[in-house]
Amino acid sequence: MNRFAKAAVLTRLRDELARRGSWCGETHIQKATVFLQEVGRVPLGFDFVLYKHGPFSFDLRSELNALRADGLLVLEPQPYPYGPRLATTALGDRVQSRFPKTLETYSGAITRVADFVRNRGVASLERLGTALYLIRESTLEDDYALAAELRRVKPHVSEADAMKAIEEVRELI
Amino acid sequence: MPKVTHEFRDPIHDFISVSNDERRVIDSNPVQRLRHVHQLAMSYLVYPGATHRRFEHSLGVMELAGQVFDVVTHRENITDQIRELVPELSEPDNFPYWRKILRMAALCHDIGHLPFSHAAEHQLLPAGHETLTHELLLNEMHDVWESMAPPVDAQTIAKLAVGQSKAGAVRFSTWEALLSEIIVGDAFGVDRIDYLLRDSHHAGVAYGKFDHHRLISTLRILPRPPVGNGSDGEDDEDESREPLLGIEHGGIHAAEALLLARYFMFSQVYYHPVRLMYDVHLQDFLREWLPGGKYPGDPAGHLAMTDIEVLAGIRLAALNPGAGGHEPARRIQDRDHFRVLYERNPADAEINPEPGEAIFRKVAEVFGEENVRHKRITGKGGNVDFPVLARDGRVGSSIAFSQTLQNLSPIAVDSVFISKEHLANAMRLLRKEGPSIVKAAMEGSAE
Repeated sequence: MNRFAKAAVLTRLRDELARRGSWCGETHIQKATVFLQEVGRVPLGFDFVLYKHGPFSFDLRSELNALRADGLLVLEPQPYPYGPRLATTALGDRVQSRFPKTLETYSGAITRVADFVRNRGVASLERLGTALYLIRESTLEDDYALAAELRRVKPHVSEADAMKAIEEVRELI
Repeated sequence: MPKVTHEFRDPIHDFISVSNDERRVIDSNPVQRLRHVHQLAMSYLVYPGATHRRFEHSLGVMELAGQVFDVVTHRENITDQIRELVPELSEPDNFPYWRKILRMAALCHDIGHLPFSHAAEHQLLPAGHETLTHELLLNEMHDVWESMAPPVDAQTIAKLAVGQSKAGAVRFSTWEALLSEIIVGDAFGVDRIDYLLRDSHHAGVAYGKFDHHRLISTLRILPRPPVGNGSDGEDDEDESREPLLGIEHGGIHAAEALLLARYFMFSQVYYHPVRLMYDVHLQDFLREWLPGGKYPGDPAGHLAMTDIEVLAGIRLAALNPGAGGHEPARRIQDRDHFRVLYERNPADAEINPEPGEAIFRKVAEVFGEENVRHKRITGKGGNVDFPVLARDGRVGSSIAFSQTLQNLSPIAVDSVFISKEHLANAMRLLRKEGPSIVKAAMEGSAE
């Protein structure tokens, strides 16, 4: 997928998240993208590592900044104390319109992921993203063991929330 | 009585004090090698004073890392909420050990740098200098760590030195992530604080200066700022609590100054078009001059290669038309670098987000690819969102606090260069056809 096609997919994902009430900050886009790439099988090519708020891609952070520098995305400040949102610009819309085949190919995956992420907060996305990462990367198969591992890497997550996150992600994939 | 501390004079921090253990690390081969690696590659061909080396920068990063550690671990600067999230902050007896580890990591964070720092890294070592730093810390310097009493943990030093973004699948605890953020963090990493001040000083430009004393005194470990869960911006219940490095409100203007300094230093010094071209000529030279066109990725080969060997190679190759790398060496030696033909402008970027690529393809087709180069760098300096502790005790986003940060765009370089003999004709071509080339490329990219 070339860079413009990838930009079309990322900005469309953002738009679909916004339509479902997502805050659309960087963390929301990061977590939605890991689901799009790993569950939706959209070949975006980002490397995700387990970071402070769950799976995080430094490549994706660079790409989001590059899309801002290129004028396809813009940072929208919010009233104190809230963090900013990302919005698609008119140029971003134009780039999307030039990739109808790519967007058609991945529209099902984008819709599915946007429905799943919808207006969830970052703590919920942190749990779900971490659950996905552990299900994919860990050798553990038992859900109780995975929930315990999730609590080990994210000690502030409760036992019930860890288990629920594993179950929700299992259902999605 | 034998000395237990030693001092270096430094133009940025006046005096840098080091312990006996730190002195042992400084005297090691990997750190001493940095005396022969220019901090700003061949920027001295543009800014003659910019001849400083990675060695003094490494000392500066170590000094600042210790200062930041002392501020963020001071008991008056830690809230109960943060203490609960980071248990290590409740164990002050361990602070001297962690401070030592942090300073060692800061001192060694650049030991994997290739000759001329970043200039040819992407081409010759795509995985980045951090991979070599990591390897040297674990292997080459093993005996140094073991000789200390008590021995320090090399794995932790290596993690902190390279940071999470370059550590691959290695997992960091919250505490380790915070410590590595002190060194290599996007917003307030001391690596950045030192290089902006130091590079600005040596290049003789004022852009990189800011009140780092004020900034450091206001750094705090804080919970991440809230984001609303829904589009209405309400509901704080579902917030992630993991802590980040931020500032208390009194430091917001110092933080703005740091981020503006970063913006100006990147746009005026690090991405100066002539400097970028010398990077390209150096890359061309190294590819032809190095055996097999490859950088020695093993520790011994790396430690034996500094700017001294490369500069000697350039001088010899420039004098000998039959030598490998003669042409790029001659260009460097004679200051016959490629000239700027095109730089991205807002009007073109509005039509096509990658106008430089369009121009490059057309000009290379007309004048020959060997005579044209394209340099595109985007997205640097885009991360300006960090937590700020307000007067009312709440933690908010820096973007909500600062109009300056709201308007600070990431840096974008998208330039095309051409050899001097083709410059005039290529300029004529662009004056006539430039806008249509940019537009046609955008239309042609559609499916």
